[in-house]
Amino acid sequence: MEATTGVIWLIVTPFATAFIVYLIGRILARRSGAKLANRISAWLAALGLLISAYPLYLEDQIVLSNKVVLFKQGGIIFYLDGISVLLAVVVLLLGLLVVIFSARYMSSEVGAEKYYALLLAMIGGILGLGCSADLFTLWVWFEVMAITSYMLVAFYRNQPASLEAGFKYLVQSAAGSVFVLIGIFIVFAWNGTLDMMRIRYFLQPPLPPILLVAGGCFLIGFGVKAALVPLHTWLPDAHSQAPSGISAMLSGIVIEAGLIALLRVTSIMGAASELWGNLMLGVGALNMLLGNLMALRQTQVKRLLAYSSIGHMGYMMFGLGVIYRFGILNGAGGAFFHLFNHAMMKGLAFLAAGVLLYVLYIAKGDHGTLTLDDLNGASKRYPLTVFTLSVALLGLGGLPPLAGFMSKWQIFVAGFQTQDTVAMLLVVFAALNSVLSLGYYAPLVNRMYRLQPSVAVENGAAVPKTMVVPLVVLTLLIVVLGFYPSLLNWLTEPAAGILFLFIRG
Amino acid sequence: MTLSLVSLTFIAVIGLLAIGLYALLVVHNLIKVVVALQILAKGAILGFILAGRINGQIGLAESLALTVIIVDTIVAVIGLSLAVQIRHHMGTLDVSALTRLRR
Amino acid sequence: MANVLILLILGLPWLGALLVWWVGDQRSKAQIVLAILFSVLAGVASLVLIPFASNSVALNIPLGGAFGDFTFVADGLGIYLAAIATIIGSLAVIFSVDYMRGEAQLGRYYALVLFFIGGMAGLVLTSNLLLMFVFWEITALCSYALISFHSDDPKAVYGGIKALIVTQFGGIGLLAGALLIYAYSGSYDLQAFIANPQILPPGVLAVTAFGFLVAAAAKSAQFPFQTWLPDAMEAPTPISALIHAATMVNAGVYLLARFYPAFERVPGWREAVVVVGVVTALMAALMALVSNDLKRVLAYSTVSQLGYMVYAIGTGGVFASQFHLMSHSVFKALLFLAAGAVIHSIGTRDIRQMGGLGAQMPLVRTVFAIGALSLAGIPILNGFWSKELILESGSAHGPLWAWVMMVICAGLTALYTFRCFWLVFAGEPRSHLHGHDAGTAMKVALIPLAVGAFLTELLAGPFAYILEHTVPLMEIEVGTTLSILEEVVTTPLTLVALAVVALGLAVWWWREKLSGLSEALAGIGRVAADSFGFEAINRGIVNSTNWLSEKLRRTQTGLLNWNIFGITAGFLLVLIILVIGG
Repeated sequence: MEATTGVIWLIVTPFATAFIVYLIGRILARRSGAKLANRISAWLAALGLLISAYPLYLEDQIVLSNKVVLFKQGGIIFYLDGISVLLAVVVLLLGLLVVIFSARYMSSEVGAEKYYALLLAMIGGILGLGCSADLFTLWVWFEVMAITSYMLVAFYRNQPASLEAGFKYLVQSAAGSVFVLIGIFIVFAWNGTLDMMRIRYFLQPPLPPILLVAGGCFLIGFGVKAALVPLHTWLPDAHSQAPSGISAMLSGIVIEAGLIALLRVTSIMGAASELWGNLMLGVGALNMLLGNLMALRQTQVKRLLAYSSIGHMGYMMFGLGVIYRFGILNGAGGAFFHLFNHAMMKGLAFLAAGVLLYVLYIAKGDHGTLTLDDLNGASKRYPLTVFTLSVALLGLGGLPPLAGFMSKWQIFVAGFQTQDTVAMLLVVFAALNSVLSLGYYAPLVNRMYRLQPSVAVENGAAVPKTMVVPLVVLTLLIVVLGFYPSLLNWLTEPAAGILFLFIRG
Repeated sequence: MTLSLVSLTFIAVIGLLAIGLYALLVVHNLIKVVVALQILAKGAILGFILAGRINGQIGLAESLALTVIIVDTIVAVIGLSLAVQIRHHMGTLDVSALTRLRR
Repeated sequence: MANVLILLILGLPWLGALLVWWVGDQRSKAQIVLAILFSVLAGVASLVLIPFASNSVALNIPLGGAFGDFTFVADGLGIYLAAIATIIGSLAVIFSVDYMRGEAQLGRYYALVLFFIGGMAGLVLTSNLLLMFVFWEITALCSYALISFHSDDPKAVYGGIKALIVTQFGGIGLLAGALLIYAYSGSYDLQAFIANPQILPPGVLAVTAFGFLVAAAAKSAQFPFQTWLPDAMEAPTPISALIHAATMVNAGVYLLARFYPAFERVPGWREAVVVVGVVTALMAALMALVSNDLKRVLAYSTVSQLGYMVYAIGTGGVFASQFHLMSHSVFKALLFLAAGAVIHSIGTRDIRQMGGLGAQMPLVRTVFAIGALSLAGIPILNGFWSKELILESGSAHGPLWAWVMMVICAGLTALYTFRCFWLVFAGEPRSHLHGHDAGTAMKVALIPLAVGAFLTELLAGPFAYILEHTVPLMEIEVGTTLSILEEVVTTPLTLVALAVVALGLAVWWWREKLSGLSEALAGIGRVAADSFGFEAINRGIVNSTNWLSEKLRRTQTGLLNWNIFGITAGFLLVLIILVIGG
């Protein structure tokens, strides 16, 4: 396979599979009933993702040898580098696990083939976003991702809460998208091109004010998706109301994709990198504080996890702020490592919470809300699920020997390598936030290990076997990376390197 | 003449964006919210035309604008269908009724 | 050879933890056997490691990048603390067989204990700052999980989370210090740093030194972080003995001792260490005097004795502090386990309801008495020698006021120890509780510790020898066991201290006649019972955080227009910042 066609295969496969899944799913649903259709759709979707992993593997060989893959067709430019590979690996891995998880979770829903088709399209959108090398293509993929995620958030069309969450998400996200467009047309007007590498070449310091405004628009536009405070208000609603698999995707990869898009556009304006760095450091601190404080007093499990995602975006923003402001490579390395770990940990947390939601409510046809009280004493009946959820929560809280600790450490190292007082104080602030976050993770873990089970647990159903697989895989990943963090260097270091190259011209 | 057309378009872009954003801040009806989003998007589309005019690549700008229109219409359709569902399940189109999810 | 042994010391307990968890709660017999087997094997491995002591890197796992090389060094200081952790760990596991019999979720219990043992051994054996922090946090994690093992009890959950958060808060000091060392020297190797601390600019070195002091104070429950340890007493008693008396709380002292050669010349650092030690020792002794909860008395006493060790380091007596650490580990583990036997048999921790239990549980009374005498500093038990060594070092190199305070504290120690022993075992029974003597497994754990309380001072010489040869930077020259003991016996200061200890005992003996004095001190007692206002500070912090959280939650109004306002305001804010910054 040619390297350039590989990029196309990588992006096209999920969409083609989405189409096939929808078609076959519809036909089967008509002929043999929803049950079979749902199951076949799930396995087809998983197969599609596995197939798209193959071109990624091939491309990866090239990118690892420090080359980039470029594909140009008219104004559309695809470009595969370290960051694209990172995003692609995370989205395919998490996507595959989510599909396996959903096979049972969505088994009794009407129209699950639509769910898988949309999920695949969303994954395709994220893959495309990671590989885009011109501003407009980036926006188009960003919108593909956004539009599919609106429909997925509002998938339970007869649930007022999910409709509400979906609508709010749509409006905020669409408003943000307009800001992105404003940024793009300003840059386009100024440079006469949308090719990001050429723009990077054109824009040497000092940047004219109008381009700073464009950068501000990008920050706001992609910031809505990346849930930067104060643009975060859609996140707790959408992430808590979506089907659990989608919550895992949203928190695990969609907001991170927003972040990657933000990096792409701000890095071409690397001429003002210190300014972006300062903004990122500030927003990072805000995100950490607000996310953790909001999560502290939540009573619903998924909402709590959603707020914690806001906090974790703060850590990533902090690491990226360090590389933008000070040019410390570990900042990006740590941020990308944390991106991966957060995808795994938050994915695991949402999936495990989803398992509990399924066995306590959905298996009985009840679309209830999983509250903290429901989890009391869950370990007695669901030892493995509870164990994996505990690992996820403690990892999110930054306790070793779990992956979350190591990536936070790398970010903190970067903060101190600046030898700058403010940055070092911000690291201390971030560490304090980690301690604060234990104030809600730890009680949740304790709750699940009580001896006296809640009413919901006593009447809970059994855990389906296929749901356990993703939980175990993710748990193993989190633990292994906690013990051996440099195992992921092949993924994070090229990404950090390419970002550094862009920022420093 | 060209200059004045550009500046006129520029004013129109700013105006559309400002109106759209202001409307999003104040309207309470879900349908009107979607309309406000459309106004915002039209501002952006006009912005692309303006940009093409400025750098002389009007052809490219027009094709970009067309793409934005398509995407934008899809968003509007989904938004409206959600509004219909909300009307169906909650019996209202008032934004302030959509506050079950908070805190 | 040393590298294999280090891997065994870490790996055996962790492997055991995995197996115990794997076996499952349905087969609790197998779980117990596995737990005992793997903890004892780790203990054996740590003993075998002693002859291999050296200050060169024994095991190196290079990771590169921001993570450095994961290195382990088995020098004198590390080996002996690892031996304490694994040996007392295995005794605690054995004791638990009786103590935890019939409890639910035993797999979680034993797995966590084993995980802790490995983590603690790793903490003292590693020479990589990142890894040190990792193990530091692992021990905190295990401590939290085991304190709140009985998750149905809100007090246990509160105690566990409090312990976790307070030690994590202090841990930021270690984090910042470690990161500073890495940022300025480019290496995580703590031996290289200790050998050459000038690599850091003086100001940075001072921040590091005080950061480490904060971390050590939080971990070792020193002023002003002492409040978590008493609340940690909700843990099952073997856990209190292992984690909150013999091993984890010593990590702070270990940290200070380890880095003493690097920090001793930082202006004000030694003075600060002395102040922390003295204030803690005194405050905790007073609290121990007024507490009515058997385990809390022991917890306060632990805090107080850790204060002694910290004080010793501040006065340059690193060897004295480590020697006392060893004695304390043995006799305090003994006291806790004996107290555990009492609590297990009568089902309460309130010493006002006890009394006259000695007749019902003679063995427990005897071993408790041995531990208590050692704690009080009565000759010939191990606590006597090490405490006198600390006081001697303090009088030689520390300020006089601090020494006087510590001698007074020795008297207080004797007083509260005797009070506690008397109320539990002597006199008339004050309620109808019936005790039974310790079970077999309990005896197996108690008797070696009781023997140890008589004998561990004999290890002083060999211990000093190993330290002298493998940790040369500490500049320890102490000589043989005999010369150390002789030095203690021949110093007149010993007599002063002994006189004060006797005075302490006398105060308890004639407590009826001294009622005027006790009334005069009632005010202090009340303040002490309220832990000198530190609980109020903790509560204030927790309440204000919760208040802030609740207030902040109102910003999530759920109103769409408000959400859009967030976007608009964010945009305007960014524009303003861009105008100012650009």
